[in-house]
Amino acid sequence: MHYIWKEWKENIRGKGLWLSLSIIVLISISILFRSSVLSFDKGFYVLLINLFDAIIYFIPILCLFIGAFSIFQEKEQKTLIMLLTKKDNYASFLVRKSLGLYVVVLVPLMIWFFLYLLLLKFNFGLDITSYLIFVAAIICLNLVFLQMGAAIGSFSRSRMQIIGYTIFVWFYFFFLHDFILLSFLPDVTHENVKLFSAAYFLNPLQAVRMFLETGMGLYSFGHMSRLLEKFMWTKPVFFLLGNLVIWLVISFGTAIVFNRKEGYE
Amino acid sequence: MKKLTLLSFVFSFFILMEPEKHMAAENLQAILDSMKEGAVVKLENRTYEGNIVINKPMTIIGSDKTVIKGDGTGNVISIKAPNVKLKYLTVTHGSMNRNSAEEYAAIKIYTNNNVVEHISIRHSFHGIYLSQAHNNKIRYNNIKGMGKGEIAAQGNGLHIYYANDNLLEHNTIEGTRDGMFFDYANNNHSYENNISNTRYGLHYMYSDENIFKRNVFTMNTGGAAIMNSNHLKLEDNQFIVNYGNQSFGLLLLQANDNYIANNTFYMNQRGLYIDQATRNIIKNNRIIQNQIGIELWASSNDQTFTLNRISENTIPAVTLGGQGERNSWSKDGKGNDWGSSFPLTDLNQDGIGDFPVIYHSSLHQLIEDQEITNLFLKSPAITIYEKINATLNNDEVMFKDSHPMAAAKSSRKPLLFVAFGLVIGLILLKGRHQLCITFGRNGRKT
Repeated sequence: MHYIWKEWKENIRGKGLWLSLSIIVLISISILFRSSVLSFDKGFYVLLINLFDAIIYFIPILCLFIGAFSIFQEKEQKTLIMLLTKKDNYASFLVRKSLGLYVVVLVPLMIWFFLYLLLLKFNFGLDITSYLIFVAAIICLNLVFLQMGAAIGSFSRSRMQIIGYTIFVWFYFFFLHDFILLSFLPDVTHENVKLFSAAYFLNPLQAVRMFLETGMGLYSFGHMSRLLEKFMWTKPVFFLLGNLVIWLVISFGTAIVFNRKEGYE
Repeated sequence: MKKLTLLSFVFSFFILMEPEKHMAAENLQAILDSMKEGAVVKLENRTYEGNIVINKPMTIIGSDKTVIKGDGTGNVISIKAPNVKLKYLTVTHGSMNRNSAEEYAAIKIYTNNNVVEHISIRHSFHGIYLSQAHNNKIRYNNIKGMGKGEIAAQGNGLHIYYANDNLLEHNTIEGTRDGMFFDYANNNHSYENNISNTRYGLHYMYSDENIFKRNVFTMNTGGAAIMNSNHLKLEDNQFIVNYGNQSFGLLLLQANDNYIANNTFYMNQRGLYIDQATRNIIKNNRIIQNQIGIELWASSNDQTFTLNRISENTIPAVTLGGQGERNSWSKDGKGNDWGSSFPLTDLNQDGIGDFPVIYHSSLHQLIEDQEITNLFLKSPAITIYEKINATLNNDEVMFKDSHPMAAAKSSRKPLLFVAFGLVIGLILLKGRHQLCITFGRNGRKT
């Protein structure tokens, strides 16, 4: 609880959280204006997909920055050393710090998406289940990238390193991961399609998108070919949960194993 | 004593008869049978047990809560006389049996010149079935099926079989197998129907010279599938969010000489999917934000694409299986508007680009060989993949529009770019120091 309170105070004094939130608010409102011409019945789904397609560019990088700098700040201000010399080890510090980060980033975001739902009510026929799925997708995206950010903050020695790693991670998941898979695509057969599928859904952006589009009933996977059936060997929600667990564990592990307690200006 | 025995006998007779259960059905059929030709029957706000057969011209009018409930063994309402009018009814519980000689429906029409309007249909195999029935008017009906995933176990919203010259308008169909299915049905007119969550919103088989205008198809596996049908007119329809691995807005399969104009194809897996089709004119449509704007297979020849706005698609157009013959991307010196991704010069200001638009792509082979490619079409990596293959000369010409139209004013997300610019600006202009102040150190500068 102390960590959450501390994190909250630090973040409301800083500009990072507000900048990130304002970008998301700005994008959501602009998409709402753009979508006002859509039909009452199904426009809601189109809006959510467009909104997701737009904010997916921002949430990863903003969360990476917030997570990374939040940890690094503890190093810079020597508070990390102070905390660790008292009773915490790095793992318990990281767990509490991460929880603080989740709460501080997700609570304002959830409040905004609740207000946004009220705005949507004037223009569209709402489907609350779909909206909850959308919000869950956004939460998952936040969790994964905040935790990756925390890992980057843990093993970085300087701010320059943080910026470098963050941009690399963002670039990797946005372009490189899919690009590598695209080059393997001609070699995908019935035998190895499961492996390929696992690699495909290792990208949080793809796992979240699939969960959202199928959850909202937009993307239909009925009556698939045998290859595609094998590709979708479990439900999208399990792909997402698997992805979430894998990246949270990897991020935690990396942060604990490679953490450096000192940071330089 | 004799009187008592007689009384108890009469009572037990009534109990054994279960009068309530049978009387309603007999009543409605009996009422209808007792009517004269051309009579108007007004039904009460209650549930009548079916099934019923209408054998003479008449008008049946229900109200808000009038339900005709079938016994689940056949068609709930069979219209076997011409000039019947049905209004304001809810019809449910037709037979779902697939082993019978006949496919059942909530309302089956065998005759001509009938009107069916403001009818809600639930729990039936087909909704309204026109069997060799002509000149009927089917309008303002609401048909709900079992949902998108169920294909074999349910029928179509409107099933038009060997039926010509019918008017189908303002119907809402949701969750059936196909929304409107035309089989050997010619010269039918369909206006302003709203079809969602079906397999194919519209399905034409061997049906010619039909007109289809101002209909909306959303969230179907396929918007409209035109197969083996010729001389159709599809105008002002909207094909929106038909999204799925094999989905499309409009499929033309062995369909010839069709006129497809002023339609909107928005956010579909494929906007238009054209295979083994010839001489179709695709004019003045808006093909926007689809993953593949137009998928044209080599077996298709003589298509004409003119005055369409084809923009913001991941891939504007792709030709698969080789180049078809005589497919033309412009007509009478007027091509298509390819949006801001194909910058044009128009020095003489005639609204037509000074140079042809040529689109190269390397993805065609992947799309053709590997269906999983479709799952990558939303990935930003596609752009990089295309660029790298372009530098390696692995790409092929997908289309050449010799007379491209000057792009309409872009409607891309300006605020989005402002916001994105803001972040990049922070990183590049203000430098890392300022960024670190923003994201850390409690916002303090020292």
